[in-house]
Amino acid sequence: MRTRQISIAAPIFLIIYIIQESIVSQFRLPGGGFSVLLIFALTWAVLSETEVAAVIGFAAGLLMDLSQSDSGPFGQWSLIMLVAGYAISYIGYGDDNVNANAIGIIFFVVIANLFVEIAYVATGALLGVSSGSLIQVVVTLFGMSIWAFLVSPMMLPIFSRLHALVFDTRSAL
Amino acid sequence: MRNGGRARLLLVILIVTCLFLITLDLRGVKVISSFKQGSQTIISPFQRAGSVVLTPLKNFLSDVTHLGRTQNQIEKLQAENAKLKSKLIDRTNADAQLKQLKNILDLAGTAGYKVVNAKVISNGSSQSFSQTITIDSGTNAGIKRNMTVLSQFGFAGVVKEVYPTTALIQLASDPSFRIGARIAGSQQIGILTGRGTRSASLQLLDNSTTVKEGDILLSRGSNANRPFVPGVPLGYVTSVDNSAGAVAQTATVRYYTNFSTLGVVAVVVSGSVVNPGDSLVPVKPQVTPIPTVTVFVTPSPSPTK
Repeated sequence: MRTRQISIAAPIFLIIYIIQESIVSQFRLPGGGFSVLLIFALTWAVLSETEVAAVIGFAAGLLMDLSQSDSGPFGQWSLIMLVAGYAISYIGYGDDNVNANAIGIIFFVVIANLFVEIAYVATGALLGVSSGSLIQVVVTLFGMSIWAFLVSPMMLPIFSRLHALVFDTRSAL
Repeated sequence: MRNGGRARLLLVILIVTCLFLITLDLRGVKVISSFKQGSQTIISPFQRAGSVVLTPLKNFLSDVTHLGRTQNQIEKLQAENAKLKSKLIDRTNADAQLKQLKNILDLAGTAGYKVVNAKVISNGSSQSFSQTITIDSGTNAGIKRNMTVLSQFGFAGVVKEVYPTTALIQLASDPSFRIGARIAGSQQIGILTGRGTRSASLQLLDNSTTVKEGDILLSRGSNANRPFVPGVPLGYVTSVDNSAGAVAQTATVRYYTNFSTLGVVAVVVSGSVVNPGDSLVPVKPQVTPIPTVTVFVTPSPSPTK
């Protein structure tokens, strides 16, 4: 059962990663833009149990670390996404107010997106990665949250169906 | 309970793995960079394909986002648009890139730099708060790390990572970017720091010198011309901070290069033997006087009857 899930989930994540690197990264969007992979991994984590969410977060983080435009040390995204995936699932999984409700999921994903980016800046500062002036960082964080808020509702039905496909869930949002 | 214990154990194992990876990377272990290089080799064909397919859409979006910033710009563009409409019909994207390339070659030729030209195939994601681009040339074309990258207007960035067929360029607008700059003419020196936008901040090194609006900045150059070749135009001073108590003057600088419209760049693989000095300072546009024609008309005397 696990093998089947991984064999379906792995190519989905790889495709999302390729879309992020070859299509979304082509555009220099105002306000910092968005990361499809990040939104996808966070959505997946909301819909999954803690164990799966942690592994998914770790795998997505590894892919983000492989991104050539990543300026931090290898493993930084993995660590942040691992903790984020686990935390989101721990808070949201099993709570129908969150994961059976599209608005709840979007709210969770947008907030998680913001906290993940803040965590990236904070850990980056500890590891000696320069992220620019405080104003620039705040503007980028705000812009990324707006983008996540705009993009998440459009992607949620697709991501939810993919999740249902992998986990054989009867219902999808 | 048992399940919870297993989840916690998994979490701990993964956290330890992450910390292990971070430590390895910070210690400069080659395996990690090999992973990145391998993934870049796999992803670069997709990026090229994406670049080809999305170029018309990018150009359209770029046009849309740059329109209407100010009323003056709109009026100017409308006036220009009418003139250029007929010319633009037959123009393709290649023409624009050709123009960029020509300007780059003019710049490099004046300074005597040996350059390798490359197309921009991807703009880096800003999820990591960095400003980068990817070009379609790499080690196979003689590009190495820490080489200067030029745009048609001057300095664009530095080669940060290089792969066989692609290279990652850190743009001068990146917040962690620093470059030694000197002011054309007065030769005062300072450090220019990226801000994540087209503007940068200049910190003069000598407290007895001054800088003024409109001063042009050029790169100072490095040992063996890497990472910076000397004499490349960086930008011009737009405002000066004269706050009392500051150790040395600081100023805001606007880069000549528009980083959001980079299509073609050139990597300086070999600097010139002699320092080009101020020879690359951009020439200010000359105002062409419009001749005014005055016509004097003398009324003929009215006929007398």
